[in-house]
Amino acid sequence: MSSSVVSSLHQELKQSFEVLRANRAVWERALADCEPLLSAIGNIAVQLQALRHVQLANTPLHSFPGLHERLHYKLSLAVDSALGKLAENMDALQRARDAIGRQVSAVFQFYERNTHTLDIAACVSRSAVCPSVSDMLEWLQDSERHYRLQLVQRRTLLQTLTPSDLVLMETAPGRWASLHTSAGEERVTDALCQVSFFMETE
Amino acid sequence: MTNTEGVKVLPADAADTHTQRCRMGPALMSRLGLRLGSPVLIRVLQGACVCTAWPRRDLADGFLQISTQCSTPGLDTLINPHIKPLKCPKLTSVSVKVFVRNPKHTSESVHELLEGLYVHEGHLVNLGVDTEIRFVLVETVNSGSQKAGLVTARTRVDVVAIQSVKHMERRKVSGSTLGGVEDVCASLKEMITFPLRYPAVLRTLGLSCPRGLLLIGPPGVGKTLLVRHVAQDIGAALVTVNGPDVTGSRPGESEENLRRVFDQARAEAEEGPCVLLIDEIDSLCPRRTESSGAPENRLVAQLLTLMDAIGSREGFVIIGATNQPDALDPALRRPGRFDREVIIGVPSLLQRRSILTSVCREMPLSPDVDLNAVAEMTCGFVGADLSALSREAALQAMRHAQAGASEPVSMQHFMRALRHVRPSCLRSSIGATDFKRISWEEIGGLEDVKLKLKQSIEWPMRFPEALVRMGVPRPRGVLLYGPPGCAKTSLVKAAASSSHCTFFSISAAQLFSPYVGDSEKTLAQLFAQARACAPSIVFLDEIDSMVGSRADSALSHSVQSQVLSVLLTELDGVGVRAVERRSEGGRVAQVEGGEQEDTRTRQMELQEVCNKDVLIVAATNRADVLDSALLRPGRLDQMIYVPPPDREARLAVLHVCTARVPLHPDVCLQDLADLTELFSGADLENLCKEAALLALREEGLGVSCVRHEFFMKALRILSPSLSPEQLQQNFHSCLY
Repeated sequence: MSSSVVSSLHQELKQSFEVLRANRAVWERALADCEPLLSAIGNIAVQLQALRHVQLANTPLHSFPGLHERLHYKLSLAVDSALGKLAENMDALQRARDAIGRQVSAVFQFYERNTHTLDIAACVSRSAVCPSVSDMLEWLQDSERHYRLQLVQRRTLLQTLTPSDLVLMETAPGRWASLHTSAGEERVTDALCQVSFFMETE
Repeated sequence: MTNTEGVKVLPADAADTHTQRCRMGPALMSRLGLRLGSPVLIRVLQGACVCTAWPRRDLADGFLQISTQCSTPGLDTLINPHIKPLKCPKLTSVSVKVFVRNPKHTSESVHELLEGLYVHEGHLVNLGVDTEIRFVLVETVNSGSQKAGLVTARTRVDVVAIQSVKHMERRKVSGSTLGGVEDVCASLKEMITFPLRYPAVLRTLGLSCPRGLLLIGPPGVGKTLLVRHVAQDIGAALVTVNGPDVTGSRPGESEENLRRVFDQARAEAEEGPCVLLIDEIDSLCPRRTESSGAPENRLVAQLLTLMDAIGSREGFVIIGATNQPDALDPALRRPGRFDREVIIGVPSLLQRRSILTSVCREMPLSPDVDLNAVAEMTCGFVGADLSALSREAALQAMRHAQAGASEPVSMQHFMRALRHVRPSCLRSSIGATDFKRISWEEIGGLEDVKLKLKQSIEWPMRFPEALVRMGVPRPRGVLLYGPPGCAKTSLVKAAASSSHCTFFSISAAQLFSPYVGDSEKTLAQLFAQARACAPSIVFLDEIDSMVGSRADSALSHSVQSQVLSVLLTELDGVGVRAVERRSEGGRVAQVEGGEQEDTRTRQMELQEVCNKDVLIVAATNRADVLDSALLRPGRLDQMIYVPPPDREARLAVLHVCTARVPLHPDVCLQDLADLTELFSGADLENLCKEAALLALREEGLGVSCVRHEFFMKALRILSPSLSPEQLQQNFHSCLY
């Protein structure tokens, strides 16, 4: 009986890692799409800054009427469109995170339902091809937490961007890049590597 | 006690820091019935934390690694952990207080940050990610119906308050309790919190709330500590001003510094409650006189104007602390500046006990330590002395213990520490004396005199309830009179040793000084100190030389008669000075324990009521020259005649004196007692000494015992110091 529970738990775990792998790819793609958008926002912020300081009346361009307002409008539109695209990407990130979160909570629920048949010794036993249940659950939890926190941090960063504070917008690309924690990513990669044999076994 | 015997606590792995995981061996997990990731409450010495249980990666047993992501505030050392499985339902609501880096930016992501965490009421969650929100304090869980639970996506997270991280770090100082100042502490808290918490109510009542408070008390009673404790307790910011920090060398610099401190306090008050503590305010704001310099006066004036300038809407309170209220400028001590004055006196018996309980709370005490007894023995000790005492006792225990081993602090360590630590109020006082402790048994004879002395000194300490029941007040003064050399001083010493009173002794040499008014001041000061350390005994030896009689016309305007009038008012004046006030032992700290503890507390209460006075013991051999005003009841109301020893008494004295002299069997002390008519106690002691010396002289240094003939020889050389006329005179004054 216990072995049947273990094998079905293994099935669940395998499925979870599949989902994790697939959504990780989605996540990375979406994140890569964000990169140029943010640098665009940074550029526009620099232009807005320049526009704020320039005295158009002292330049040969003074004959164009309402140039200042027009330029400002154009740049604001550019910011809006970049932010709109970013929001789409954020939705993609959110979807990836949700998929991972759902799967992880499902596998945890399955484990919790069957705790009476799975004692600790069964959970911690590992072999050359198959990591222990406890290890795998831990990796899944870590990955889920990593993506959740990343999403919160990135979304908070975008929420702070307002046209009134150009300095925040200028520094946005740098701060966006600094949110990328190699340690967290590596742990997800490690986990996926360590389960690769386990995933191939039937 | 703990279920983790023999388990070694290791610091958590870097990867586990903010994961709320507690790593333990699989065997311990199965013993506690835990599954993977099940929530546990880990109680340690200073607090608790909520973790999820996970097996260690290497599956080794005997180690424990705890991530303190969700723990009680201020938890840092993890000693003696006790693991308790926790039932954690999924929460429907949780209300939290968040601490952010910059209060201007608020974001809405608390919920996502808390998701998946197990939280406990009153715990502080360290989020550990680089966001605006750094810490979250969990206030209530499921509206208070639960203690702990899991935050899920469906949990409603209510943010009650947003504060800056700086504000929280201030709150995190160690939360020790203060003993013995509960009532002062409560009134202080009330005064600080009322204007800050209920400004609207005060406005509708049309009150301008009090903003200043002056704490007065002798050094070491814990004025500064009290303010710090209160500030920390109500989460107020504390800005401290020290006199020397403010004073600058350039003209006007001091005033500038003072203004800067007030500005700082005002800035802190924007964010929350703030207390401005001016420690040792007497150095900053001395009495303005002709002789003090202009810069000093300017500083005082600046302080006064700054205090007046605080508007009532500005939420900060000024507390001044001083031990010399008389040195302050009177302009400072009026409502509007320092509205209230709180006097913290030298702790009484019950207060001492509660101070001792709080200073010894973290100390491993062996069961024989009776803190009640220690509190009784430490009269005149202030809080600082008591904490020094407990520290010294712990040091004694450490010295005693074998290297590395820890030994609980026992009563003997406290007794040894008591010998080293003296009350600080006695350090600079005039009459404090160190004397060799003697017991009643070392004084031969005089049984009824001893009984009378015990009645007036020991009984109020030992049987307070009997005296209270019979309505007998404690005597105010005792006069011992009698011929010289009859053990008057020794009797007082024995009385002082047997009761745990503070003992002051003053002689004419210490009292009289060439300056006019100095002697009177010294005497008044002595009594002030004695009252501060009550119950205490003031011993005036040879009182006839100190205070003459006013009836004697030659002495009517001399220093002696001035001293006499001071003594008379000290003995039976209208009251004591307001500054010397001490707490009425009305409010008693609740004591845990059974009936025995209750009766004990009651007895201590009674003792406190009975023994708050100073007992004056005077000794003289010329009672007839004393002023009659001094001898009336209410002043020196017990007059005890110490007679020259009769035959039985002489025998007892001889027994005591020869206790350490090797006597030949032919020595008959009864005969000696018969032969030594008119010998005083001192004479008898001299006789024994002389006999022993004679034996040494005549039989060489190798002599082993004193024979009777040497006593007889010594008796022929010595003559009694008392004369029949003297006895007659004393007898006469005894009748009168």
